[in-house]
Amino acid sequence: MTDATTEAAHSTGSAVAPQAEDPTAFGLLNTADHKRIGRLFIGFSLLFALAGAITDALVRFDLASDSGHAVLNLETFTQVFMFTRDALVFGMLIPFFLGVAIYIVPLQVGAPNIAFARAAALSFWGWLVSFGVLVGAYIGNGGPAGGWDEGVRLHMLALAGLVMSLIVGAICVAVTTLTMRAPGMYMDRTPPFAWSALVTASMLVVSLGVVLGQLVLLYIDHGYGRHFLDGNYGVWPRIDWMYRTPQLFIYVVPVLGVAAEIMLAAARRWVFEPLALYFTMGLVGLFGFGAWANFGIAGEGADVVDGLEGIVLVGLYAGALAGVGGLLALLGFTVWQSRTWPRPTTAVLAAFGAGKLIAVVALVGLIGAGVDWLNIAGRGVDGNAPLRFTTWVTGQQSLLIYGAGLLGVLAALHWWAPKIWGRRLSELAGWASFAAIGGGAFLAWLGPTLSGAFTEQPQFVYNDPLLTTDYGSLIDSSAAEGLSVVGGIGVVIVLAGLGLVVLNLLVSVGMGKGAEADADPWGGLTPEWLLDSPPALGQSDSLPQLNSGTPLLDAELNGSVASAERTASEVPA
Amino acid sequence: MSETAVSTAEAPQPGRYTVPGLPPRPRSQLVGTGFAIAAGSMAVAGALGHYMARRHLLDDPGHDWLAGQSVPNPQLVYALITLLVSVVTAHWAHWASRRGERGHTWVGMAITLVMGFAFFNMVMHSLNRMEIELGAGEWENLAFAVTGLSLAILIVGMFYLGLMTLRSLGGSVGRDRSTLLGSAVFFWDFAVLAWAATWYVVYVVK
Repeated sequence: MTDATTEAAHSTGSAVAPQAEDPTAFGLLNTADHKRIGRLFIGFSLLFALAGAITDALVRFDLASDSGHAVLNLETFTQVFMFTRDALVFGMLIPFFLGVAIYIVPLQVGAPNIAFARAAALSFWGWLVSFGVLVGAYIGNGGPAGGWDEGVRLHMLALAGLVMSLIVGAICVAVTTLTMRAPGMYMDRTPPFAWSALVTASMLVVSLGVVLGQLVLLYIDHGYGRHFLDGNYGVWPRIDWMYRTPQLFIYVVPVLGVAAEIMLAAARRWVFEPLALYFTMGLVGLFGFGAWANFGIAGEGADVVDGLEGIVLVGLYAGALAGVGGLLALLGFTVWQSRTWPRPTTAVLAAFGAGKLIAVVALVGLIGAGVDWLNIAGRGVDGNAPLRFTTWVTGQQSLLIYGAGLLGVLAALHWWAPKIWGRRLSELAGWASFAAIGGGAFLAWLGPTLSGAFTEQPQFVYNDPLLTTDYGSLIDSSAAEGLSVVGGIGVVIVLAGLGLVVLNLLVSVGMGKGAEADADPWGGLTPEWLLDSPPALGQSDSLPQLNSGTPLLDAELNGSVASAERTASEVPA
Repeated sequence: MSETAVSTAEAPQPGRYTVPGLPPRPRSQLVGTGFAIAAGSMAVAGALGHYMARRHLLDDPGHDWLAGQSVPNPQLVYALITLLVSVVTAHWAHWASRRGERGHTWVGMAITLVMGFAFFNMVMHSLNRMEIELGAGEWENLAFAVTGLSLAILIVGMFYLGLMTLRSLGGSVGRDRSTLLGSAVFFWDFAVLAWAATWYVVYVVK
């Protein structure tokens, strides 16, 4: 089927001849090819993921001592803690899926390139340079709680650069999905990943825009008198919401798109109600919009809606849970309808695991928000810290970033490696990575979650950096320290799994040990599998006219790609 | 290689994109501008929200907040009116562009840009008269930051308008080729609205 349909696709094509990549360094710098930009995002984001996981392990083990800091000191602890969040969210989670979207979405919607290709390139280089400046600011003791004043402002500038770069990249992806779909591929027939990329890109644009406005105010006040900032430390509590749930849900919506692509291909069926597929993913993005819930966490404006922050957070988690649960139920029903058990490839396992973990995070988040709202077990009253101020939050971050996020990374890499690099990754290494990342993420979640629930261990440096200096007087130190070690071991295992992913890429792709892939090695359903692996720039334009996001499934059901085409006369006015 | 890659994003390709009877594709630049406006709106909303939240924390904002500053209301109102008129002239230019009337297009854009410069002249004069000293207090810092953000958006808007005016001078006029100018006018509408919101919150409500 695959060869026939590919041949049919190519034979009916027209227009723009595929173009070769300029292999020189200048060509790389000057590239406006969505595939190269996507690859650059993917490669560097994996490196930053390694850096973030290493520093996270340092932070966890640093808390495993009742004498204060085991590995770092107070100043470096806060810096390393904050860098970890920056690296994992702005260095890995957002840019990785942005890179995959920049590569895959144009192929999926039948566009010859990403919209505003130069802007997409600017997005990558801006992101890379900004991240370099961010690292420089931290090294110079200039993070949000640093001792070098100019460095603190340098960090804010770098963060603004990161945010603007990612917004530009997100706009390119969103515009591609909205305006460059092949004629006949209407929004209700868009491939699931392209839709999830649109949801995330749209929500990134509106949520990260808020950060820009905040950073302008913080930068000015920090530079001139610090009238409302309480010293250098005042910066962090005002931007911390970007690294927490529910905002984190926005960053992992593409994981749901990856899961849907892979599960539907495994089932060889389309969902019985496509609008529900799109609606549920949109719901997760919509309820992940946590920017405006910031009042429930930071000081300013909290009294305006005093008492409402609890119900707001409950509502956000409930909405996200409804979205994820609905999507998983829809996919599960489709697999059940197919009456076939999916082959347990790394991509299938990781996609299944990642989707489930997002649902678990939403459920745990709902429980935590409910406990805070209803003051269950005295939480939030009589001097007891609400769960959202404890390491309960760290547990959620761990499960969402390491569990859902990295498993989503693993699934996307194994699924699309043939299309991105032309080679398949090692399945054996993939299974080992899946086990390590899944198991490690569980421990990285378990330790801080139990510690937050039972020892009220503060969420590290949320309210006051001094809290990190004398844990012994604040918490049941032995239990918290032990649970910190559990979390630390989990991060080390995640790190090993991540290292294996990078090694797998280097060996299978870099050294060319992976099996060469044909156009559709997995039996995918979406248009990118009609193209060569990897396709030349503009090859999408040689596709036949598409009238759905699953032409290969249509071809399987109807006999050929050509029969799935929609003629001009059939298109409604 | 790269040149073709860039142009494909905007220009319809031969073949599939020109099939008779198929609906025309939406405009990439207009949609992209819409997303940029969404990001800018949230930035302004975030900054204004922070400003209002800080103001709310004071016991007597009217007395404590401004600390003796007097706002030159007439000049700022004239500045706002100038901007609002520039919105009309910008839409006039776009309307003329869609009808292929180049002369009206260029006159409309020239007046819009002149009004933009006049606005900046009035606002800078007003702010100089107020003698806001950066770092003197919380209001000064917040007002400077929020005002600066809105002015920066207006500068971007003027730059965008100027650039698209040059495209019009190069012949990009007519019903199907005015989307670029229309995108710039769309952004200008947003920039003016952002300034109006800033003016109301910072200089009227204070």
